[in-house]
Amino acid sequence: MPGAERALRRQTAGVAWHLVLSVVTLAMIAPVLWGILTSFKPANEIYSLSPFSAHPTLEHYAHAISEWPVAQLIGNTFVMAAGVAIGQLLIAVLGAFALAYFAPSARGLILTLLTISLAIPPQALIIPQFLLTAKLGWLNSDLGLIVPQLGASALAVLLLLQHVDALPPSLLNAARLDGARPLEVLWSIVLPALRPAIAAVTILVFITTWNDYLWPLLVAPRQIDTTVQIGLRQFETAEGTNFGGLLAAATLTSLPILVVYLVASRRITDAFLQSGIK
Amino acid sequence: MTSLLTPTPTRGVATSGSPRRGARAWPYLTPVLALLLVWVYGPALFTGVLSFLEWNLTGAPGGFVGLDNYARLFREPEFGQAAGQTLLYAAALLPFSTIIPMFLAIMLWQRPGRASTVYRSLLFLPVMVAPVAVAVSWRFILNPLQGLANETIALVGLPPMNWLGDPASALIVIVIVTSAKVTAFNMLLYSAALSTLDRRTLEAARLERASAWETTRFVVIPQLNRTTVLLGLLSIVLAGQWVFTNVSVLTQGGPDGVTDNVYYRIYTLGFEFFETGMASAAAAIVLLFFGIASLGWVFLRRSRARG
Repeated sequence: MPGAERALRRQTAGVAWHLVLSVVTLAMIAPVLWGILTSFKPANEIYSLSPFSAHPTLEHYAHAISEWPVAQLIGNTFVMAAGVAIGQLLIAVLGAFALAYFAPSARGLILTLLTISLAIPPQALIIPQFLLTAKLGWLNSDLGLIVPQLGASALAVLLLLQHVDALPPSLLNAARLDGARPLEVLWSIVLPALRPAIAAVTILVFITTWNDYLWPLLVAPRQIDTTVQIGLRQFETAEGTNFGGLLAAATLTSLPILVVYLVASRRITDAFLQSGIK
Repeated sequence: MTSLLTPTPTRGVATSGSPRRGARAWPYLTPVLALLLVWVYGPALFTGVLSFLEWNLTGAPGGFVGLDNYARLFREPEFGQAAGQTLLYAAALLPFSTIIPMFLAIMLWQRPGRASTVYRSLLFLPVMVAPVAVAVSWRFILNPLQGLANETIALVGLPPMNWLGDPASALIVIVIVTSAKVTAFNMLLYSAALSTLDRRTLEAARLERASAWETTRFVVIPQLNRTTVLLGLLSIVLAGQWVFTNVSVLTQGGPDGVTDNVYYRIYTLGFEFFETGMASAAAAIVLLFFGIASLGWVFLRRSRARG
């Protein structure tokens, strides 16, 4: 019976499909998953091969919270990520609006400058950027963590510009003929139309900045002023690494982003999709 | 994505571009341009200046030494090795940024539904989790004494490995640790490309009774070629930057420099050895390379747009 045979083949294909995808998925998230599971094991079982302990414990979390300035570091990281996200958004909205609305004759040149800046490896600029930050007295400060990263707004400007350029010209021209001033057009016509794009850019910049490693390592190495990513180094001592505390702290510091992702995974993948690269 | 890399130089919504109108744009453009000049283009030029100075970061800036920093950079074996390893990373990460995410995306696309949505969300997780958190989990797993990796290979009778300390395995480990994020991200980009496939070609393949594999091979993959070329190029150019955090957390460029690359070398020279001049020379070489490449890109686009 060809029908039954086809049904059987379809079923086998379905099983193979699930098998491949679940193995790949597991392989990709297994390291982090193992880290999280380990953070709940008591110290004497930490190297056990069983994923779950018979005596799960929060001792490493208690240690991480009492011995490690977790609230302070999460606060620092939040201030940096929010500062960079909001700052980039403000200057990008103004810039993208101006490029589209006024069409300055230098538009082509500015776009080229922005596009090329996307290709410049950030690691190749760290020496002068560090010297300037130090000269301004911004080492170990929120300003030093935030302001230099506002130079990298090109992606935000180009993403928003695509959306402003896509607005129907009649919409803006009508407002212009009505005698609306540019700021009024920006505020009452462009901003409401851009709301989804603005949300996407904010999410994208916030998450990439939260996970940022090199810049805070350079300008805020001091224990209390730094971000969570750099603060994790404090679990490494001369006597070795306290893996229980380290994995508990790593779990705690990834939690805010993971919670946001669980709530809004579709929105977030859309935001990353728009960025294309990064 | 392609449109972002190739913005239209022509004007947007404005219909009349009188000079007076254009001039009113500057107050709005000042913040973005000022920050871009102070924190990106200024530092890029200043890197070039620093590369000609004798300067140890702990002391005061010294005098002009011509190409001395470049000569020293090329005399020490480390920089040449770092450049070679950068290419090795580019080659090693290429399958993880093209063929593997392509097949994952195609599989998810072939069976849309609840299961594929769940898989897609989970597969994207490596992009969300902080690279440092991923790297410290790996370090725990690869711990030479009792780590999961050695315990697992012991089950099949293999001797324990010093994964991060052995030149034979360290670079492979860095590539694998980095690959999850790259694969996850590019899978998303391939998924987006698949959602724009030409429906008529798929319908034609169905009418021809093409098998699933034939459809994939002769209808789907050819339409993904543009995406593959672009992602492959980006991967080759950016691979060395992608591994930076993992190198820093896991190996610091060692053992014997096998996991080093030019970006990490800039950091080591500048912030471990405080060799400002040599670090700037290394950075200037990288900037020159990217400068030439991106100017080439811009001119290529211009000439293609014209003719």
